[in-house]
Amino acid sequence: MNDFIQINPTSLTGKKYWRSLDQLANTPQFREWAEREFQDGASEMLSGGSRRTLLKLMAAGFGLAGLTACRRPVEHILPMSKGIEGYVHGVPSHYATVASVGGAAIGLIVKSFDGRPIKVEGNPRHPYSLGSTSAHTQALVLDVYDPDRVKGVSRKGKKASWDQFTGWWKQQASGLGDGSG
Amino acid sequence: MSAIFSKQFDTKLRLAAGAIVLVLGAAGAVMGYLLHPKQFDTGYTPVQPVPYSHKLHAGNLGVDCLYCHYTMDKSSYAAVPMTETCMNCHVRVKEKSPKLQMVRDSYATGEPIPWVKVHRLPDYVYFNHQAHVTSGVSCVNCHGRVDQMVEIRQVQPLSMAWCLDCHRNAAPNVRPTEYVTKLDWKPEGDPAELGAKIIQAKGIHPPTNCSGCHR
Repeated sequence: MNDFIQINPTSLTGKKYWRSLDQLANTPQFREWAEREFQDGASEMLSGGSRRTLLKLMAAGFGLAGLTACRRPVEHILPMSKGIEGYVHGVPSHYATVASVGGAAIGLIVKSFDGRPIKVEGNPRHPYSLGSTSAHTQALVLDVYDPDRVKGVSRKGKKASWDQFTGWWKQQASGLGDGSG
Repeated sequence: MSAIFSKQFDTKLRLAAGAIVLVLGAAGAVMGYLLHPKQFDTGYTPVQPVPYSHKLHAGNLGVDCLYCHYTMDKSSYAAVPMTETCMNCHVRVKEKSPKLQMVRDSYATGEPIPWVKVHRLPDYVYFNHQAHVTSGVSCVNCHGRVDQMVEIRQVQPLSMAWCLDCHRNAAPNVRPTEYVTKLDWKPEGDPAELGAKIIQAKGIHPPTNCSGCHR
């Protein structure tokens, strides 16, 4: 029992403090009430391994609660809001381009699926390569996905924007003639 | 030393083992039945973000399947139409309807409408719509009477066994390509006969080997 905490210590001098009128009255009912650890209505710990059973049931409940996720997962289709002209999803598009391999120009036709280039073929109309590609040229498709590729416009080493480029180019182009002859 | 195991322990153990086997077997059978695509996938009717009714548009109004799902005969994907296709009409028709708010927002901001996919095939399967549509397999063979569905639900299991049933005997499911989107079309004679003639004429060979679909 809690001998070192006395409800009404009698050996102390000085003012006697009380926290309720019942304590002041020091009735036997109050003393009994104060000294009980758990009051009426508190459920008693049952005997035997019931604490173990409780823990087992809690663990099982916790585990079974995960089964609430057993539904068919929802998959979404996200079509474009406004289409791109001539683009059909699932049909690859081909672009004619040219690459510089070893200093020479190689004409290429690049197959692009969903906007992502996936295959490089030679362009048979190119007078230099006549549609042939070498292993290095075939590997160029990986250049497009190179993490170190140029990702934006730069001017003299500093990052610039497309607007700046078009402004600069307009200036240059005005001095170049009108394209006739 | 006292006996650890009672005399009846053997019998009890064997009975318990038998009971466990039976319970697991029963559970396996039930789950095998419930999780089969024919039970699990058919009837799937998810809620879509926009209450689009195929019955109204394709059925009552007579909009052809190919008007919206225009990539059906060109590409392996039968694309869900882009918002622009909806706005072709709905910029004037019911232009203030609250049900179409999401469509108008999508058109204005460029964000896609998050449609819920109903007919799902696993990623290890390659399905090409164009090959089927141009061969003469109608929409109704796999998707059912879409023009009578207010909410799209999956009617066929789309399991491999179900696909092979047709791939091994395609004649009853092949029709002239003009009638592919006419969902209630019925041929004059025997569908299998007509289908067999078309297969012969076009040289249709549905693949039944593994690499036909598992690419």
